[in-house]
Amino acid sequence: MQQADRQLVTFALTICLTCSILLSAIAAGLRDRQEREVELDRKMNVLIAFGVDTRDERGRRISGEEVDAIFASNIREIILDADGNQTDEEPDPVAIRERRQLPLYLWEEDGEVKRYAFPTSGQGLWSTIYGFLALERDLATIAGITFFRHGETPGLGGEVDRDWFTDQFRGKKLFDDGEPVQFRVVQGGVSSRYPDGNPHAVDGISGATVTGVGVARFISEDFKRYNQFFEQIRGA
Amino acid sequence: MAATKKIITDPLSDNNPITIQVLGICSALAVTVQMETAFVMACALTAVLTSSNLIISLLRNYIPSRIRMIVEVSVIASLVVIVDQVLRAFLFELSRQLSIFVGLIITNCIVMGRAEAFAIQNPPGKSLLDGLGNSLGYSVILLLVASGREILGAGTWYGMRVLPEAYMGNGLAVLAPGAFLILGIIIWVQRTVTNNFKDD
Repeated sequence: MQQADRQLVTFALTICLTCSILLSAIAAGLRDRQEREVELDRKMNVLIAFGVDTRDERGRRISGEEVDAIFASNIREIILDADGNQTDEEPDPVAIRERRQLPLYLWEEDGEVKRYAFPTSGQGLWSTIYGFLALERDLATIAGITFFRHGETPGLGGEVDRDWFTDQFRGKKLFDDGEPVQFRVVQGGVSSRYPDGNPHAVDGISGATVTGVGVARFISEDFKRYNQFFEQIRGA
Repeated sequence: MAATKKIITDPLSDNNPITIQVLGICSALAVTVQMETAFVMACALTAVLTSSNLIISLLRNYIPSRIRMIVEVSVIASLVVIVDQVLRAFLFELSRQLSIFVGLIITNCIVMGRAEAFAIQNPPGKSLLDGLGNSLGYSVILLLVASGREILGAGTWYGMRVLPEAYMGNGLAVLAPGAFLILGIIIWVQRTVTNNFKDD
């Protein structure tokens, strides 16, 4: 190997090593804070699904302490197994992703459960869309929904996280006449296809048919999973 | 002294990276719907560009010319990852809105362009100023475009309401074509005022 080549390789290796050590150190140093932010974001979105106002009058997000306080005083988290029976298992992110564990959030006031919320996620067009869905006490009516992570096209499918889209779900039903119903996201608008309105459908997003179909499918499917547990409550 | 001053002021107007060289407009179009995202993006680019110019200038006499560009990209990429990690830890919501655009600073032509055109052949002090000047030139345009888009699109500026509540908001300004239009108008006005570009 010639002198110049040796210098070149040494320089390249030094740069690589320096950069990687630096990046590892920074990533490791910031990990705790980042995880705390992700956790806070999860809690924040549960609150949004429950319909809690998470913005102050200036439109800023409320602080982490406030979120923790609301969470501690109103929300109880329980874990169901895949058959909808309550278990004492510790929540495990992998099991939750594979739907072997189903986390359910209970909004309690004066010891009484007022609302229920669960995570829901599924395929849109380009990406997995993640959200939370809250139900009223009747275990049929949607109290609120939020989509907080997705990789859909900005301006088209990316509109799923906008208020105009998610607000429509409030008051719609996932359960009617004693059984779960297939929810619909209607292209061209609900009123054009169902002139008398439809309690199981919302307006779609122009140019985002596949995203809408995906959302309708995965919230219906996730509801069915939780419905096994809801049947126990209804029966009781 | 005059030459040093020119390093800073040139990129602000006469040699602006966005309006004259038309570099880095991908992010200029993408993150300018609101002032807040544009401001954070401008800060992120400033941090990356000034430090990459400084580091590359310090290394300039040691970098073997055959792997020059690879080394530059490694330095820039590392800096961008650092900025991205810091944003995720301290400005989580904004980092989500900026999404891939912080990561795309790596491919922002301004950063690579200044490393190649300036930092690789100039001393650290000047390179730092050059980085700062170009970042400011980029930031000024980004904030101008964002001001126009947020005011026209939502009737607010930096989240504060400036137009009456009754203003419905202009959908065009929020979408990418609005950014093209506003950027085009800025370029037009600047070139008319400075009179630097004349057709033969």
